[in-house]
Formats: sequence, structure tokens, C-alpha cells
Amino acid sequence: MSIEEQYRTRAKELLSGGAVKMVIGYGKGSNAKRRRPIFISSADEVERLVLDDACITNLSGYLVSEGLLSDEKRVAVFLRPEGIRAINILAAESQLDAEQIVIFGFDVAGNEVTALKGINVEEFSDIIDSIKEGAPEAAEEELFEKIEKMSPQERFSFWQKEFAKCIKCYACRQACPMCYCRRCIVDSNQPQWVNTSSHTLGNFEWNIVRAFHLSGRCVECGNCDRACPVNIPLRLINHRMAEEVLGAFDHFAGTSKTQEPVLASFKKDDSETFIL
Amino acid sequence: MTKILFSDKLDNCVERWKSAGLTVIGPVQRSNISTYAAIEHAAELDFSLVLPDRSIKDLFFPQSEPMLRYTIKKESIDTDECLPPSGPRIIFGARPCDASGMAIDDPLFGWDYKDEYWFQRRNETVIVTIACTKADDFCMCTSLKMAPDSTKGSDILLRPLAGNKGWQVEELTDRGREAFKTIADILQESSDPAAPLAVVEKKFDLDACVTWLQNPENFESRFWKEISMRCIGCASCTYLCPTCHCFDIQDEGDTYTGIRRKNWDSCSFALFTMHTSGHNPRSTQSARWRQRIMHKFNYFPGKFSVNSCSGCGRCSRQCPVDMGITETLQEISKLSL
Ligand code: SF4
Ligand code: SF4
Ligand code: SF4
Ligand code: SF4
Repeated sequence: MSIEEQYRTRAKELLSGGAVKMVIGYGKGSNAKRRRPIFISSADEVERLVLDDACITNLSGYLVSEGLLSDEKRVAVFLRPEGIRAINILAAESQLDAEQIVIFGFDVAGNEVTALKGINVEEFSDIIDSIKEGAPEAAEEELFEKIEKMSPQERFSFWQKEFAKCIKCYACRQACPMCYCRRCIVDSNQPQWVNTSSHTLGNFEWNIVRAFHLSGRCVECGNCDRACPVNIPLRLINHRMAEEVLGAFDHFAGTSKTQEPVLASFKKDDSETFIL
Repeated sequence: MTKILFSDKLDNCVERWKSAGLTVIGPVQRSNISTYAAIEHAAELDFSLVLPDRSIKDLFFPQSEPMLRYTIKKESIDTDECLPPSGPRIIFGARPCDASGMAIDDPLFGWDYKDEYWFQRRNETVIVTIACTKADDFCMCTSLKMAPDSTKGSDILLRPLAGNKGWQVEELTDRGREAFKTIADILQESSDPAAPLAVVEKKFDLDACVTWLQNPENFESRFWKEISMRCIGCASCTYLCPTCHCFDIQDEGDTYTGIRRKNWDSCSFALFTMHTSGHNPRSTQSARWRQRIMHKFNYFPGKFSVNSCSGCGRCSRQCPVDMGITETLQEISKLSL
């Protein structure tokens, strides 16, 4: 039985027995290459679920939609390892109760889909640890290497050119499971902390604020990068910040649901005399 | 015999227009995005694109625009109005859906007062449109009762010749004729046939959709929630759309001095309708998505007798969760059977 069929069967059992109220998965999209998020609440509809190498969107952000989990019922969701890490962070940051989440884990390598064993987030900790171990050795894309070799001025002009394209559509924020704030700092206008205008300064402010706020929280799922309609390579920023946090604090975002948030915790014996 | 502009003469035309003081703008690929931008030479233009990622709206209604500078003094306030940079421009190689998008927005910007930012740019810009010989899965001009060679909003329509050799020229407006006078001797008479136009399949029955939307009973339909469940509420669809025109006015600066700007805004954002009290009349994403559809296909045509959509398909092409106007209207079309 293919993984797709196995998961459809599992979804059917869970829904018909009332063990979960909804399954969030992937369905066919508007053309052969696209998959779209779908929400299944009835066992008769599980045939709509699709699982293949085109299922890349991280669906964990939907779990924190207003009101979804407030009835304490369980919800099942299709997740790749990055999505599972996101559940740990959301739980660690008190945005959801991990007990309510039933995971349909999978991973994609090339065009092959493999199932990840487990249901509750804790059961995936070995997989997450092995990703953490592999992280420093993982091959980086060429553009990343190129930017690393630039002088600060060159790097600044690279990003200036990229951010000049930003239109402040906030698709990066909306697509990100970690951007769950009901009112983002850029939407706050009493006082107005950040310019709303999409000009050079405003675009810089926005992208830098976001990069900082995602440091140590980003799971590198790529949702923001794929969502950006003007193709700003946001993944490079995320990757750089993740490396920084891993190197400086041995912190790999989303290893457990009790992990302390790296930028929101403080140790008395910290060697730094200054906190940002 | 028709008037033909041969491709190998385009650079001469660009030179002519530039020396006549026009800024020449056209479709280009730059920094990993396709857009309409000012060029120096014809070679910079990319005619292979089905449609640039960004629409020509940006050239008439930029994402952020200064309106006035102010200084608050003890007893007075000094203001200094900012007008858009002026100067004649020619857009060479717009697509019919983009050009018609500008014509769709003209009544909106000229309705209760004449928006001088919009009209100054409109009056100073010649739009030379190239009819489409290819389309992608998301193009839907025909569903909006337009076509790959619609002339709406264009000053000149060019029909590509077979083999990318050039274009048949159709002059549509005085503004277009004026701009093409400068290159009159470069054009040639020829009977070269035009390449076949793109075939764009009709995706929904627009009239049926409009009738369904106009029925007040459907305002509270469950349909809205179901169709928009996956919408993440970004403004990608709004900001890429050639006809979306909402903006916000913001003062930037400190207490005493600053600049007032007009910035794009989107009905997809929760903040768009948030009251000071905290109450939000469009408190859910489904209410916001309904507004987007209703505005384009019910309220806007009710006021200006034209739908606020030109069928460019960008909203569906670029949506991070594969939504868009197309799917919604296809589903409404089915509902109204
Ligand atoms: S910042 Fe981007 S890559 Fe990181 S978690 Fe958010 S959406 Fe995913
Ligand atoms: S998605 Fe891209 S264009 Fe939109 S706000 Fe984010 S960085 Fe800017
Ligand atoms: S339809 Fe797509 S592009 Fe538009 S607001 Fe929703 S998620 Fe964003
Ligand atoms: S609503 Fe969509 S298809 Fe219509 S003009 Fe706007 S972006 Fe194009």
C-alpha cells in the first residue's frame, strides 16, 4: 500500500471514530504540479487527500488559526520534519497543546515520499536530533556561499537590491507558522514602531525585524521564501540566522516541546554583560 | 498591406523616442523577477514572457508615494505638496490585460475627485500593447469577455508576426499616433501575416457568477467559508493585481516634521477594516475574501459598469496556497447551474 493510501485509511479511521475532528492535508491543485492545503472533516472525503513529492507547504500554521483548537478536540495534520519542529516551537511558546495534534509524518527525498513513524510530537525526537546532527555538514546552496564570501559592503548592496523588490505584501509573514502574532509589530500604530511604507528604509526595517524575530525560531521550512511574490531569497537570511544560533548557543529550533526559546531565556551565569 | 515594425528596427525606435524626450519602459527580467522597467536599449526587453510578474499598475500607482511634506510650528503648519515626477513615457510591450486594467481603474480614480497622481501619469504615458501569442494555465482574459488582442486601454496594438520578425501596427488613439509619428519612416508596409493568437480557454460563466453574487441570499452562504479556508490573508493577490487600487494614507516622521504618504493597502488584511474600538466588521478571512470578490464583480460594476478584473491571472498564479479569483468564480459558476 502506498503511503498516500495508508494515510487515507488512517484519516478515515480517525475521523469516523471521532478521534480527530479534522485532517489538514494536501489536495490536488489548479494544475498538475500544484498541491493545495485541504481541510477534511468527514470520513467520506479522505479520497481527496494527496501525498506526493509536490506536497511541500508547511501546514502547521493553520493549527493556530483563531478558535481551531479551543474546543480541545484533536486535529490531524500532514507534516514534514520542519513542520514537526514547528509544532514543538508552537507548544514551547504556549500557542497550542501538543496533545491535541495528531501527526501524519512524511519526508520527501528527490521524488520519493517516505512515512515517518509516530503520532505524537515526542515520537519524532530521534528524527529531529538526527537532522540537527547533520545540519552543520549539510551542503549549502551556491548563492549562500557567494554571499558569505562578500565584503560587508557588497553584502549590503546585495540585500539592498533584493529588498528594493519588496512590496510589503506580508506573504512571508502570513505563510510562516512562527508568525502567529494577532497583531504584528508592523501593524501597530499607537505608536507606529515601524514605517508602513514600502520604500528602501521601510523594506529594510521590515525584513530585518522579521529576521531577528525568527532567529532561533525558524525551522527553515521555506514557506516564506516560496510565498514571496517578488522572489527575494528569504531562505538565505533564515539559514544564516539558524547557523548563527546553532553556533553561538547550540540551539536548533524545535527539538522538543519544552525547549527554551533562545532569544527569550536568560541564564544568570551568562558570559555576556549585555542583552539585546 | 499593413504597417509593420520589424524587430531589428526596434532599437532605432527606442533611440528616436529617447531623443524625443520619452522614457522608454518595457518588460524585463531583473534580479530574478520580471517587471516593466525603464530601458536604454531594445535588447533589454524580454518578449518571451507570457506576462511579467509585476503589472503596469506600479507605473501609475506606485506602492508608496509622497503626497506632502509638513512642518508643525508654534502657530502654523507649513505644507509642501509633492507631485509625481512628470515627463512623457512610452510603455512598449504591455499585455492587453495590463493595459485594460488601467482603463478599468480610470473611472475609479476620476469619480468623486480627479486623482492627479493617477491622471498626470496616465496622460503622460503612451501604452503600446503586444497581443499575446502564448498563454499559461492561469490566463483568463476570455472568461472576462476580453481577448489576447483586446485593445482596451491601449494606444497602439501590435500583433506579432510569425517567427518573431516584428509586429503589425494598429494605431488606436491620438496619443498613440503622435508617438508613432516619430518613427513613421522606420515602419514599413508589408503583407507579412500575423502569428496565431494564444488560445485561452474560457474558465467560467461570468454572467452566471455576477447574477449569483447579486443575489443577497448568497451573502451569508457557507460557500465563502469553505472556499477561503486556506487563504492566509496576505496581499500578494492584491498587490500584483493590475486593477486593485486601495490605499492607506500615513504620516511618517516625528511630532513636528514629516511626510504624508499614500501606500498600497489590501482588503485581505485584518487591519484594513479594524475600528479604533477593536471591533472589526470583517473579522474573518472568509468575510475579507467575500469582499474581494464582491468588490470586483458586484460593487465595482454596479458603480462603474465594468468588472474590476482584467483576467491576467496573477492572483491565482502567485497565491502561496493556490487560491485565486479563478477557482472562486469557477465554483460560483457551478453553484449557479
Ligand atoms: S521564517 Fe520562513 S522558513 Fe522559517 S519557519 Fe517561517 S516560513 Fe518557515
Ligand atoms: S513576501 Fe516578499 S514582497 Fe512580500 S513582504 Fe515578504 S519579503 Fe516583502
Ligand atoms: S488568496 Fe492567496 S494571495 Fe490572496 S490573500 Fe489569500 S493567500 Fe494571499
Ligand atoms: S483579480 Fe486576479 S485575474 Fe483579475 S486582474 Fe486582478 S490579479 Fe488579474
